[in-house]
Amino acid sequence: MTIAFSKKLSRRNFILASSCAIGAGSVAMMGHRYKALAASKEVFELNDAGSRDVFTSCGMCVNKCGVIARVRNGVIEKLDPNPNYIKSRGMLCARGNAGLDTVYSPDRLKYPMIRTGERGEGKFRRASWEEALDLVADKLEGLAEKYTRAGTVFVSTEGFQEHFFTTFAECYGSPNTLRHPTLCLASNIQGFGATYGTNPTPDVLNADYLIMSGANRSEALVTPDSIDMITGEGGKRKVVYLDPRFTKTAAKADEWYAIKPGTDLAFILAMTNVIVSENLHNRKFVDDMAVGFDELREHIGRYTPEWAEGECDIAAADIRRIAREFAAAAPRAVYYQGRRSSFFDNDTQMRRAMAILNVIVGNWDTKGGMVPGSKIALEKHDYLAPWYDGVPLRLDDGSATYLSNKDGSWKYFRDRVLEGKPYPVKGMMVYKQNPLVSVANRQKTLEMMKQMEFICTIDITMNDTATYSDVILPEATYLERQDPIESQGGILPVVTTRNKCIEPMYEAKPNLWIMQQLAKRLSDEIYASFDFTMEEYRHHQLKKRPDIAKALKKNGVFYEKTTPTYGTTTGKRLRTKSGKIEIYSEKYAEKGLDPLPVYTRPNTVPEGRYRMILGRNAYMTHGTTANNKYLQELVPENSLWLNIDEARKRGLKNGQMVKVKSSLATEHLRLFVTEKIRPDCVYMAHGFGVLTKGQRLLQGKPGSDAALIEDNVEPISGNIAMHQTFVKVDAA
Amino acid sequence: MKVKRFAMVLDSNKCIDCKACTVACKVENNVPVEEGNYRNWVSEGALRGKFPDLGQSFQPGQCMQCANTPCDHVCPTGATWVNKDGIVLVDDHKCIGCKYCMTACPYNARYYNETTGAVDKCTFCVQRIYKGRQPACVETCPTKVRVFGDLNDPESEVSKLLVKHAYRVEKPEMGTDPFLFYLI
Repeated sequence: MTIAFSKKLSRRNFILASSCAIGAGSVAMMGHRYKALAASKEVFELNDAGSRDVFTSCGMCVNKCGVIARVRNGVIEKLDPNPNYIKSRGMLCARGNAGLDTVYSPDRLKYPMIRTGERGEGKFRRASWEEALDLVADKLEGLAEKYTRAGTVFVSTEGFQEHFFTTFAECYGSPNTLRHPTLCLASNIQGFGATYGTNPTPDVLNADYLIMSGANRSEALVTPDSIDMITGEGGKRKVVYLDPRFTKTAAKADEWYAIKPGTDLAFILAMTNVIVSENLHNRKFVDDMAVGFDELREHIGRYTPEWAEGECDIAAADIRRIAREFAAAAPRAVYYQGRRSSFFDNDTQMRRAMAILNVIVGNWDTKGGMVPGSKIALEKHDYLAPWYDGVPLRLDDGSATYLSNKDGSWKYFRDRVLEGKPYPVKGMMVYKQNPLVSVANRQKTLEMMKQMEFICTIDITMNDTATYSDVILPEATYLERQDPIESQGGILPVVTTRNKCIEPMYEAKPNLWIMQQLAKRLSDEIYASFDFTMEEYRHHQLKKRPDIAKALKKNGVFYEKTTPTYGTTTGKRLRTKSGKIEIYSEKYAEKGLDPLPVYTRPNTVPEGRYRMILGRNAYMTHGTTANNKYLQELVPENSLWLNIDEARKRGLKNGQMVKVKSSLATEHLRLFVTEKIRPDCVYMAHGFGVLTKGQRLLQGKPGSDAALIEDNVEPISGNIAMHQTFVKVDAA
Repeated sequence: MKVKRFAMVLDSNKCIDCKACTVACKVENNVPVEEGNYRNWVSEGALRGKFPDLGQSFQPGQCMQCANTPCDHVCPTGATWVNKDGIVLVDDHKCIGCKYCMTACPYNARYYNETTGAVDKCTFCVQRIYKGRQPACVETCPTKVRVFGDLNDPESEVSKLLVKHAYRVEKPEMGTDPFLFYLI
């Protein structure tokens, strides 16, 4: 390392500073200016020898923002945002910046491990890959023989290598894949899909009027929406925000209403009532593009703002005014559908109502409205799953009205495992999902795992689910893998690349390699579907698109346009039964569901108890980042939010420990007394109160929401309903 | 070589307190973790009002890169110095850790770095900016609260922002002449 000094700065200081020097790529760009500055001896000359920039894709949450990793001597020094990455508007959030600790955390899974103690005791021995893989393959064969191939469930969540895991499940022959959507957005997709035939993307940047309920975009970051809602055409946009908590989104909104949880449907129906009864709707649009407006007119009469006021604690006059403003701003007006929708058991109908409200003001496929997303096509990888006789249908078949065959429903599935009906499931393969932290009613998940004869977890850290497994296989982190090229659909579709920044540490391996090794052990026929290298796979994906390959190399991202395209569906049939937007759903009527959303009142908070509500902060991703050292410093412990007047009434003090008791469990945590929450609710963060001893920074950090929350369900989509649990709060 | 006057203009109205700047800075500048020390931070303003009529603002903070530097004035060893372009720096070879500067700073922008044995603070990411890069906090900010540039250049974005908008500085009564400007 050669360092030329400025007159005053010491060598020591600059050895430190230069360890953070920027990568070669950018230097080349700035080369001319840099040389001139250096020659003048006015600035510090830093040598970037050995440093290189790698285009990659963030893996800290679902957004997958573009990243440039600065790597020197095999060490990642810094993750910077890729300025070309339009979907994330060239930014990287706190979690994205903290990604280094995913790689360098001492709590990483380093080697394959086989359990030696009791399940959950945390006692494992190091095993060779050979031994661990042989054991897993052997168990999978044995389980298939004993319980059919449906006797093993494949639990996973989204990620660029998840596809290989679900492919493996299919090739192994199990219909039972169990994914995350029924803990998240299943009802959202269902409600909007039933109306539009797709779940459209709101054009936040160009919207003049935005209503957000159940979507805390300044904390639950979704790109580009979180950015666009703040940075759009400054001053023109109005944001109306409904939340029982005064979140950071509330602080940014023009109007915040502390709505009674579970009553958003009343608010939306009353807005619809005003727009329809005052003829503020877009008549031409509903005539041309939609079916069922007449039925809606008849249906909506009873849902007056005065009625809604009594339900949702928002004044009738405000509802009326907001409805008129919304209609006046249309079609550049969005009732934003949010993402996670696992709140109440009426959620699909609530999302339907949101969609319908957007429809009647003509907010579809137009600037500042709801825009159908598109996706840049890549070549698909064909595989051939062997045929097995005598494998039954999914375990949760026939549970939810519209069950996703690939995702299943966590609530129904787990219940049936525990009943052992219609057949036993005794094997569990887990990839990247951590159900002991992420699924409501942790006790049930523990029981489900207890009755398993074999559990194998593939992950990067010793989380709760890994701790309760029999075999643990360490995966390489997102910064140590080359992943398939990913096409991200939406209003501004992009193609992104994840390049390997460093070689995997310890004995960690990419999931593709793990699946290949297991496939090999099972049969030649299964392995045939995995017989390729990642390079070959990526090459195949871009076979017909050398332009994408070129752009990925040059910019780390490919996109065809920088502004959305509108009107692509004009004159075309939509993917609904009628081919039009369905205000009235014939499909629902046939299934015996309400064809138009009917209000149902949420369960009432009993005296002396509080409704437990969940939410996000911008420093944690679900249960996956609480042990990250950079983020842990921002949220060192969990706390229970309680309204200040309630605390006063109950004689509870800010900062004291309290016990929070639901019908399922009692959790102890610190009390946060605040004005920022409704008096009938309490709130805590998600990701604390872990069972494992394998996450250093989470030891002695209580407060598991999964232990407390009851597993109620939204029966149309099978989504879990997590805001229907009541708790008692007492001094600990 | 023309002398610059580096400055930062911040529009706190856009700040959502996501703390991307804080973590980016920690990683970029090797600020020790788990000791509660920061080169930059975001403050939650006092909560205004009573439930359900509430308001709150968020404001990023850091070294104000003052023109009249109380930290520099009290430093007994000359460890704190100001470069030709107005950036207040610490030479940690000369720093003896007496922490006078920490006491003198009205913005509480300095901390003692146990790893280097010297007082540390924001340098506008001096290792990046002379290569034409933005400071890490500026580059990473999702809502682009922060704009960095040269006030001696009338064509720079910072210069233009300060012409167009009203602004304030923190604790003007201290007479420190800060070069972080907050738009009003």
